[in-house]
Amino acid sequence: MRILLAEDDPDLSRQLKSSLSDAGYVVDHAPDGEEAHFLGDTEPYDCVILDLGLPKIDGVSVLERWRRDGKTTPVLILTARGAWSDKVSGFDAGADDYLTKPFHTEELLARLRALVRRAAGHAQPLLVCGGLRLDPRAARASVNGEPLRLTSLEYRLLHYMMLHNERVISRTELVEHLYDQDFDRDSNTIEVFMGRLRKKIGTERIETVRGLGYRLKPLHDEVSDI
Amino acid sequence: MAESRILPDRIPPLWGRGSLVGRLIRLAAIWFIFALILISAGLTAFFNYSTVTRFQAGISDIVRNLYTHTEFDAQGRIDIPELYNIRTDDIYSGLYWQISELDATDKVVKVHKSASLAERTLTGPEKLDKTSGEPVYYNAEGPRDQPLRQVAIYLRIQDRPLLFIAGEDRSEVDRNVGQFALITGSTLVVLALGSLIAIFLQVRIGLRPLFDLTDELGKVREGQKSRLEGQYPMEITPVTEQINALLSYGQEVVERQRTHVGNLAHALKTPLSVLLTSAGDSPEPLADAIRKQSALMKEQVDHHLRRARAAARAQHMGERTPVEPVLDELAVMLEQVFRDKGVVIDWRAPENLAFRGEKQDFQEIAGNLLENACIWCQKRIRVTASLGNEAEGMTLLIEDDGPGMPESRYDEVLKRGARLDESAPGSGLGLSIVDELVRAYGGRLHFERSALGGLKAVVNLPANFIT
Repeated sequence: MRILLAEDDPDLSRQLKSSLSDAGYVVDHAPDGEEAHFLGDTEPYDCVILDLGLPKIDGVSVLERWRRDGKTTPVLILTARGAWSDKVSGFDAGADDYLTKPFHTEELLARLRALVRRAAGHAQPLLVCGGLRLDPRAARASVNGEPLRLTSLEYRLLHYMMLHNERVISRTELVEHLYDQDFDRDSNTIEVFMGRLRKKIGTERIETVRGLGYRLKPLHDEVSDI
Repeated sequence: MAESRILPDRIPPLWGRGSLVGRLIRLAAIWFIFALILISAGLTAFFNYSTVTRFQAGISDIVRNLYTHTEFDAQGRIDIPELYNIRTDDIYSGLYWQISELDATDKVVKVHKSASLAERTLTGPEKLDKTSGEPVYYNAEGPRDQPLRQVAIYLRIQDRPLLFIAGEDRSEVDRNVGQFALITGSTLVVLALGSLIAIFLQVRIGLRPLFDLTDELGKVREGQKSRLEGQYPMEITPVTEQINALLSYGQEVVERQRTHVGNLAHALKTPLSVLLTSAGDSPEPLADAIRKQSALMKEQVDHHLRRARAAARAQHMGERTPVEPVLDELAVMLEQVFRDKGVVIDWRAPENLAFRGEKQDFQEIAGNLLENACIWCQKRIRVTASLGNEAEGMTLLIEDDGPGMPESRYDEVLKRGARLDESAPGSGLGLSIVDELVRAYGGRLHFERSALGGLKAVVNLPANFIT
């Protein structure tokens, strides 16, 4: 397992490096954002530990660049700024997990194991509908290359609709596949989720068929793109 | 929070020594009372004078007629001319005349009088001007208590002293003068009152910008506004400009201090990480001490960071944070963090619901509660935001299907540094941070048992619908 550790504090880096090596990881160290970006761009890492307060280029920008270039390596961010707004902006940039300083080494190792295991799932075919792409293995979706930030219920809904592309799906069918058990939810549950999904992927991608249900449809100018 | 504060009196007391309005109105009132008395007295006196003068012409004529035509005949008997006036013949008609023959010591020897006087006589003047021969006017009482205006003249005719007197009932004149005084007085009182009201209004409207300024300053102090934005007349503008400059300076200082505190706090966290990592899980007493002290230091740092943020919050009142996007971001993020567990966050919030406060604070409140729910749940988390009415604010429910906790611990976990379980991940400060923040917004946090089986956190926060 090969890991990139991007951390500017020399003492913390040295200690983390030795702990990670003890745990059986091969560790590359980048002391600043520039080097971190370069290494992450060129080397095939299984996971990246990224400090957000890096010199030269800050962690969020490094992460954004990787994600823009299509890098899907799992990234764990380390941050001294523990406010939720900082965490949220890290996730918006494409982070997979976060850890607030100061932390216990065991916790870092546990999070790391989870990230690596998650990334190593079985390959499943990519689902495509026009500009919409859904990767069931990584549980990620994108529209025209832009990653979508979906909650799990929205993801489930989109996944089911993409599996049954080009068919009208009734509300009852959708509710049954949305929840494992009977959720005591209000009757307009599906409308609520359709509304949110439309907001995220584009209103015109989901067609309402009056009295029958919903259908996913590729946009006209995208059909050739498949 | 803002509701419970006592607002400064919008209208200052009118008669207080310190009131500008009071001072202006007091001055005006004193002047009006003075002018009113002067004018009404002057007008009444003048009216009285001219009316009485006109009235006296009648009795003057009678007296003049009497003395020009009165003579003594050869026998020394007095010859009084005939006056053709029906009123001098009617008894007590109100018009009378009288001629008194006097002896050398001015004693009345004989009296000749009009028929209207019957058996009564007219009283002479208190003082007689014997030399000038000018008529003397005076008030006297006539028959039947009639108030009379009388004229008397002392003349020697053929060297015999005579006193000619004529009198007329002046009650109508008195009534006229009284009426005039009453009308003049009341008109002037009405005028004065009207003018006072006009002045009061004028002053209130004229000084309105000052009251507006007070109101706006109150809003600034309550944090609803960060600076004075109202349009003020040019006399007040320099004051508002100076106040704004002072406010910006204060905000700048606070902001600078806050940045310093923030930088210091965050700079301390990396060395703390180093210490913690150095200690590792070594059982040595030194390592143990380092772990404990680092945890304490972290707690201190977090506490002071929050204090600094609270200081900054005062400047951001009046902000609105839409609830939906924050819940969406947090749900997406936490589901990803807890993906191995397969956490499903089902959240509902009205699209146009907005928290009345800063976004970071709402993220902190909802984030900590949601993270807590993620840690303790088996799989399911339900989040429901709703708005009863604006006075009640929004209710945010965060429920999980975990083990929950005994009711006896509901209050305990809100205390600073308390943790639901020492072995569970998390800073242990989460819930007390939430409680502190919620209280800062005048809201309330409490716990209940959820229908899902676990804990239900109930948060009340100020909110409204945005259009």
